[in-house]
Amino acid sequence: MKVHQFLTSYSYGDAIGNEALEIRNYLRGRGIESEIFSLFYHPRYAGQIINHREYPKYASADNVAIFHFSIGSPVTKTVLRQPDRKVMIYHNITPYHFFLDYHRVLAKDCFKGRVELKNLVGKVDLALGDSRYNEAELKELGFAQTGVLPLVMDFEKFSRPVVPVIRDIFDDGRTNFLYVGRIIPNKKVEDVIRIFHLYQKHFNPKSRLLLVGEYRGFERYLSALQKMVARLENKHIHFTGHVPEEELISYFRLGHLYLHMSEHEGFCAPVPESFHLDIPVVAFAAGAVPETMQGGGLLLNRKSPLDAAALCDRVLRDTELREKVLESQRRVIRSYRRDRTGRILLEHLEKLTGRKGLFNNETV
Amino acid sequence: MTNETKPPEEPLFTAAEGIDVREIMADIRRGIEEKKTSGLLRQVEIDEIEEMELQPLPDFLEIPNVYENHLYPGQEAEPFIPFHLEPEVEGGKVKKLLGLFRRILMPLQRFMLRPFRTDLHNLIVELHNTNRRDVHQLKTLIPVVQQSKEYVKLLHNTINNMIVEASKLKIEEELLKTKIKVLEDKAAFLEERQRAVEKKLDGGS
Repeated sequence: MKVHQFLTSYSYGDAIGNEALEIRNYLRGRGIESEIFSLFYHPRYAGQIINHREYPKYASADNVAIFHFSIGSPVTKTVLRQPDRKVMIYHNITPYHFFLDYHRVLAKDCFKGRVELKNLVGKVDLALGDSRYNEAELKELGFAQTGVLPLVMDFEKFSRPVVPVIRDIFDDGRTNFLYVGRIIPNKKVEDVIRIFHLYQKHFNPKSRLLLVGEYRGFERYLSALQKMVARLENKHIHFTGHVPEEELISYFRLGHLYLHMSEHEGFCAPVPESFHLDIPVVAFAAGAVPETMQGGGLLLNRKSPLDAAALCDRVLRDTELREKVLESQRRVIRSYRRDRTGRILLEHLEKLTGRKGLFNNETV
Repeated sequence: MTNETKPPEEPLFTAAEGIDVREIMADIRRGIEEKKTSGLLRQVEIDEIEEMELQPLPDFLEIPNVYENHLYPGQEAEPFIPFHLEPEVEGGKVKKLLGLFRRILMPLQRFMLRPFRTDLHNLIVELHNTNRRDVHQLKTLIPVVQQSKEYVKLLHNTINNMIVEASKLKIEEELLKTKIKVLEDKAAFLEERQRAVEKKLDGGS
């Protein structure tokens, strides 16, 4: 049996791409042949990723095709045409209305994606969500066989050292607020800016906000954010843009508080990553975020920037509270071990194929 | 008067067991109130920040190039309604009687109208010629009018396209400004990086 994966796009540093890579490595480590097929991929991965149109050469009724679904694309048709048993991992689709003012094409793709998702009902053997939130959506749409496969998290990468230059620049006694993720409208970066600005102005002037993430394709949103920063006259808000992994890790390691105000998340990988690095997390309860946090960190139930800024100040100043928050995060992070996710995947594959032994082969 | 009680306000945040959310919230509120009382924090300023809206640039793909439908809405030509006389209504006996009178009076009528006939004939010829001349002139004018109409439309479209292009250029300029700002930030960051590296090198040597 071979287990292959399909993606629409394999971008560098992208959570879905990383998960696909982790799954492939995990399966290969167990002696299961596995490849990744994609429509688009970063040149960095040339030779590792295969064009999805080449899949018919690999197709077999004995195989399992894992399809990472997050947006409408021609890859859906490629997967559906194959004789393989089909597993879909649903990473959620951002509601299109978030993009209407900023990216019409993406809004259209997101809309089409939801339509495609409905059409997949009855055409896949197993539909997995990377959170219960996503699974609930699948059940609501009518998928018969569903399950949860938590996002495969690779925490080993955080053992790498901090880039010395980044440390010299940002480890200067200022309190670093951190946001990691794409600079896109559903992430509500403007709310992060509002909270930070109030925090800096009224609680701690010696602070800065690091907004780490890709903004290409959303220049109009970035421009609106920059205009907002200019109106606030705040000189300590940094848009880093896309950064290589070692720099991303450095930013994480230099963060004193992780702030996330997104209004739609299918999982939210930076939250467990911050948990792993003992950074207190303050995040807004939207989408799958409450489920991802599992009671760890501080979960905002409503958006009240001044109260949130005061809360951030409290958690940064009050050592006892901070320790309690970090302890709650440490408890949660145990459930995100890579091996655990791998086992869950193998359990699902065993059920689907009726083959025993995939799970017992403890080679990884 | 009903004895309705206001539902308790949802706490700002949720946290793990052992963290007293209500106490922390009360502390936070107290601190904020103190800042407000001391004048360090003004409600107007907070409201301004909380209500500050993003002002995205419009997408120039959304600006239509053709706008005739907006410029000439519902200007369809009115249909031509030909003029016609109401038919005379004459009864059977009246008709016969009038016919009899006409026949009797016809020689007299001819005699009386004879002098005017030539004048009428000349007038008809003159009117016909005037009419033909006017039609001929109109025929030469119609293409000019049609052409002028098209020129006006063309002019409107040209002006519209110029506005569209100017708007696009403005948006592009704003986007370029954003890109310049990004590049400036990057350059500033790289300068900081350079200084940090130089410092390290100096320290090492």
